[in-house]
Amino acid sequence: MLAKTGIDRLDELLKGGVPYGENVLVYAPPFIGRDIIIKRFALSGLTEGEPVIFVLTDKSFIEMRKELEKLDKSFAEFEREGKVKYIDVYSPSVELKEESPYVTFIDSPVNRERISAAILQAQREFIEKSERHRVIFDSLSTLIVYSDAKAVFRFLQVVSGTCKRLGATSLFSMTRGMHEEIEVQTIKHLMDGVVEMREEGARLQLRVQGCGEVISRNWIDYLLEKDEIKLTGAFRMSRVA
Amino acid sequence: MIETGIPKLDEYLGGGIPEGKSLLFCIDPTVEESNLGIHTLHHNLEKGRNCIYVVSKSSPKQVSKTFEEFGWRMEKYRDNLILLDGYSPLVGAPSEEKYVVLEPHDILSYEDAIQDAIEASPNRPIIVFDSLSNILDLCGERDALQGITRINDEIGKREGVGIYNFAAWPYKESILYRIKRIFDAIIDVTPIPGAMFVGQKYTPSKISWGGKTGKSVMFKVYKPGGIRIYIPKIIIIGPFQAGKTTFIRSLSTRFTPVDRLGATVSVEHGIVDCKGYRAELFGIPGQERFLPIMEKMGKTAFGIFLVIDATKPHELEHARQLLRNARNNIPCVIVANKQDLQGVLSEEEIRERLGVGEEVPIVKTIATQGTGVKEAFEVLVNKIMDSEVYVG
Repeated sequence: MLAKTGIDRLDELLKGGVPYGENVLVYAPPFIGRDIIIKRFALSGLTEGEPVIFVLTDKSFIEMRKELEKLDKSFAEFEREGKVKYIDVYSPSVELKEESPYVTFIDSPVNRERISAAILQAQREFIEKSERHRVIFDSLSTLIVYSDAKAVFRFLQVVSGTCKRLGATSLFSMTRGMHEEIEVQTIKHLMDGVVEMREEGARLQLRVQGCGEVISRNWIDYLLEKDEIKLTGAFRMSRVA
Repeated sequence: MIETGIPKLDEYLGGGIPEGKSLLFCIDPTVEESNLGIHTLHHNLEKGRNCIYVVSKSSPKQVSKTFEEFGWRMEKYRDNLILLDGYSPLVGAPSEEKYVVLEPHDILSYEDAIQDAIEASPNRPIIVFDSLSNILDLCGERDALQGITRINDEIGKREGVGIYNFAAWPYKESILYRIKRIFDAIIDVTPIPGAMFVGQKYTPSKISWGGKTGKSVMFKVYKPGGIRIYIPKIIIIGPFQAGKTTFIRSLSTRFTPVDRLGATVSVEHGIVDCKGYRAELFGIPGQERFLPIMEKMGKTAFGIFLVIDATKPHELEHARQLLRNARNNIPCVIVANKQDLQGVLSEEEIRERLGVGEEVPIVKTIATQGTGVKEAFEVLVNKIMDSEVYVG
């Protein structure tokens, strides 16, 4: 069983999507489409009837909500139905004060214990109603910057373990260029798959590691058009690329 | 002795934490970390003790908010609380506190700040750390633990007490081993296995000065309120019209009635808050057809109240059967109700008719007036706390 990413050709590349219950790292530099993958993955989940938990360290839940509403008119509806929960680790640090019944605020990215407890709390509510759900963690980089990769590794060991146990398909993001290679490897070690993105000269490319069966593991060109990611590189017959 | 104020824990500790000792709350990372420490902190602030709260994972402002969530006011303790700020420098924010850890990645800097704070506080300070794990992560595990050992020595010299919250992330075995060695007492805090939706439990696993280890106590954290011992299920059984509903109603702080024309037609639910305990009560109607429900609930209950009408000897045979069906070595208390009416049976008569010995206490009540109701609860929870079923 596969969780669609919501990006057509990426799903094709993944032979349908990410296997349920797996956790995937999206590893990309800023501004080349990481956000789009995250948002599409969330919306695709909601469309399939899977509730979504957002853990946000770099933007407020208000921003995230606005961006998602822009992509999908029915997002507000999903939220009203109680299918969306935010764990907002950003707003308190910049003293944003807007409240919502769907959000849990965490005062600081250092407070990993509260983050893990809040995720679990949200999951408990979801698994009563739904067999599957998705967790989106954007981003691990902030956590690492505030302490270190080893501490975040231990945190992830616990969180990804719980996600697995409770049947969540989860997406974690990390910013390329912010971390030492060893830190990246440490985190990758805990993942079932990685979607890696890069800028090669004027070309944008992505490749998939892990994630069950895929058609190709090569770097594949893509285009960024407004709010869409379009895979333009061929992967059906990889030797052509 | 320094009390933790956590229900039952002080008893297990043999009265509390002796001066000069340290105690670690070793907390499963899926459980929110700082609650036990902050409960202990507040308990001692209330008693007028001098306390130092070492904050390393949230801002002093947030600490004050957390106090508010619990229903406490931090300003009240201006004279006996020092907030030692190890957080603001970490995120590059200015600190308004007098004692600041200037270099939060260096355990020596923690030591300096703590030393200053100890010297400034009059006597026998109680030092609570909001997150030892965070200090370990920031300062390096080995360095941090060496520093903590020195800090504990210093606290010991001043006849103070050190209390640490520690989120037990999957650290290396050697680190965990060392941690277990350097603290005088360790209280493990874990989610309740198999019933992870219910609550948490604490288990003292090491007490160097003697006390009771190995027993677990279930608790929940209430905001407002703090920490309470939690008993997920007590069932109330008894013959029809014995006064079960009245008993539950008079004991409960929150109650959901389900009666039609004076008879209870379904399982009713009440929540009791009493003496550091919170328990959920489930009243099972006396009619025959509820027997299967009773047997089923009896299997997972922690305690039973058998409510009887003490003026109706002929009903006791039925009560005896109910008890036999529901009870699987679960602690039980007989509530001999309607003591205000004529012709109440004596304790001996009740025992004989129910076929129970001295191990089952009988408490006399007048549920309509609330007489004896709280006493019955206390007797039962004490029995539950001592029982094999409760301690996992």
